[in-house]
Amino acid sequence: MNVLGKYKSVVSARSTDKEILKASQDGGIVTSLFAYALEQGIIDGAVLAGPSSRPWQPQPFVATTRAELLKARGTKYNICPQISMLKEATRSYGLDKVGIVGVPCQIQATRKAQLYPIGMRDVPDKIALVVGIYCMEVFPYKGMQLIVEDHAGQKLQSVKKMEIGKGKFTVITERGNVTQLPLKVTHKYEQPGCHVCLDYVANTADVSTGSVGSPDGWSTVFVRSRIGEDVWGKAMAAGCFETKPIDQVKPGLEMVTKLATEKITKNQKTVDERAHFGVGKALRNPYI
Amino acid sequence: MGKVVEISPTTRHEGRSKLVLQVDDEGIITVGNWISVTPVRGLEKAVLGKPMEQVPKLLSRVCGICPVAHALAAVEAIETSIGVEIPADAHTLRVILHCANRLNNHALSNIFTLPDLYIPGTDRKINLFSPEEPMRSIARRIQRIREIAQGITEIAGGEAIHPTNTRIGGMYYNITSRAKQKLTDLAKEAVDIVKTQMDFMIAVLRNFQRRDWTEIGGRQIPIPRNLGYHSEGYLATDSLYGTSSRTSVQSWDPDHLREIRPWNFYMGEVTIDLEDSTYPIGGTTAAGTVVHPKREATNAIPLYNGRPVEVGPRARMALYQGFNEKGTIGQQVARQMEYMTDVHEILNRLDTLNTSGKVLTDPIPPGDGKTLAWATTEPARGTNVHFVRVREGKVADYSMIVPTTWNFPVCSKALSGAPWQLAEVIIRGYDPCVSCATHMIVLDPDKNVVAQNLIR
Ligand code: SF4
Repeated sequence: MNVLGKYKSVVSARSTDKEILKASQDGGIVTSLFAYALEQGIIDGAVLAGPSSRPWQPQPFVATTRAELLKARGTKYNICPQISMLKEATRSYGLDKVGIVGVPCQIQATRKAQLYPIGMRDVPDKIALVVGIYCMEVFPYKGMQLIVEDHAGQKLQSVKKMEIGKGKFTVITERGNVTQLPLKVTHKYEQPGCHVCLDYVANTADVSTGSVGSPDGWSTVFVRSRIGEDVWGKAMAAGCFETKPIDQVKPGLEMVTKLATEKITKNQKTVDERAHFGVGKALRNPYI
Repeated sequence: MGKVVEISPTTRHEGRSKLVLQVDDEGIITVGNWISVTPVRGLEKAVLGKPMEQVPKLLSRVCGICPVAHALAAVEAIETSIGVEIPADAHTLRVILHCANRLNNHALSNIFTLPDLYIPGTDRKINLFSPEEPMRSIARRIQRIREIAQGITEIAGGEAIHPTNTRIGGMYYNITSRAKQKLTDLAKEAVDIVKTQMDFMIAVLRNFQRRDWTEIGGRQIPIPRNLGYHSEGYLATDSLYGTSSRTSVQSWDPDHLREIRPWNFYMGEVTIDLEDSTYPIGGTTAAGTVVHPKREATNAIPLYNGRPVEVGPRARMALYQGFNEKGTIGQQVARQMEYMTDVHEILNRLDTLNTSGKVLTDPIPPGDGKTLAWATTEPARGTNVHFVRVREGKVADYSMIVPTTWNFPVCSKALSGAPWQLAEVIIRGYDPCVSCATHMIVLDPDKNVVAQNLIR
């Protein structure tokens, strides 16, 4: 089973931009790549997950400047409907070359919108760069609140960073307080839809990235499409990233494969079970 | 006694209509009946009892060519009925939307009209599908105008076809300053293209006017000097956008409007006895066919001050700008002249648009159902009137008189005096959009029309 999808190349990378790295989750790949694309006119804006009036409740927004891009740094582990802004970006924002970042299901939705643009008239040809991020599952806002406030005993307002990795859910507050929960306790708060999701590394993106497989502060980057290759190549040439060959870093591609396999096998079970609970048809995985 | 010929369906316009023509021995029309035979969709009935927010969206579906006109007339009429004023910037966006839609429609009308016309100095008709020059560049130019117009509609209105941004009380969103810049760029690009297109169209129209004959079905048909002349009146409610019953000085008076049934206007049963298999496309209706225009017609007949009136670009220009050329060519020339008004108006309005201005009124009252309100817009094909009564947020009455409905009777009259082969050239002068002109007709068991019109 090919759980990593098709790709042209894979590296471990980190942004060379100090400002971006300061608040990025890992290697600052998404922000740097978009910042470069924006500067070069490859995109004229991007749909991103930005802050909203509630702490840790992301809200999709359209960034058209570097300053706006910086607002979206860092991972948020709960639902943020970027696709809802995709069409709007081409309408009242007047964009012709839209960048979009999202988790695998959102990237699938973007591709689907491009293939079957129902309700997405004149959007397909305006999508210029699609960046995917790895995703195991997400939490609805309420679920996130319970995990952080009840289980971890922290106020959402005071949280500076959240991390999922090494079997732990880590909450770090502004004052430096660190709480770790075993991932197990968070499972019941996951969005149920994620349990039938068979894509871990955004197989249909132009470029997909996430921390898994690379050392701390670095990200693993898959370059998948011709567009992805072109933009990534130019950004590399412009010195936006420093990279290391993936086979020379720990834990390496093995780790990505391991997690992807875990996710897909586990979810495939749910998918198979669903074949028996009434709909009469199992879902198919078109992405592997 | 003359003969009767039928052209069915008529071509190169929106919707389905036909012409039943009584002609004399020379083939000159003595009585012309142009009727809509588009099946009734019943939207005016479908919206009854629906929440008012939904209704403009539904009514935009009256037509896929001028959906903007219906969406705008519907929101304006409903807003008038419930008594809200919309913010200035919302109005500006609506006018931009309106002009962009007009631009698109005029360009589309050019596509329909051009195959009737000749390349000046030759006896070659203009075939826009030909890869040869100058056809290819004309076609490109027209399509670019439409692209620009739809691009503007898409940004100001949310969608290129059925606008999603219009809503009761204003608009959902204002546009960003970047989008405004894009609209300005598009409109600036359009200025030159549209000017060239206007000059070109007027030149080929004038050339047609100077010709003695035109070729139809392999024969040379003489072009009368008074092609499409009529002696009926004009109606236009505004030179650009429209008006509503809340304005104090009114440009028209709906009390002078009377809608009669097609039963009282068109011919009764006749048998076709003139047949011409060479007429494009596929010949006219076979001789011996029995037709019944007054029963088959699905359009209503609105009269203003007791007579049919022409609406559209010429009517607007005649009433507001002193344009006085009659006939089909005059009508077409007026249409081309509106091109410039539309682009310049888009640019002017963009200038005044404040992209951080409010575009939605708050609160929005539910309406008390006391008054029957109306609003008009002036889209490409002429006065579009929507009447509505809103009670507790629901639509209690709805009726509309759309441009081509006005034009059916007047154009029927304008057919007289022309060779029957030119009848379609005359109706194309009205740029007909037939499907929105279709009204609810109720028949009794004997198939007599018994529909009562809604307004009175
Ligand atoms: S796990 Fe799948 S369905 Fe759930 S958010 Fe991630 S990509 Fe979407």
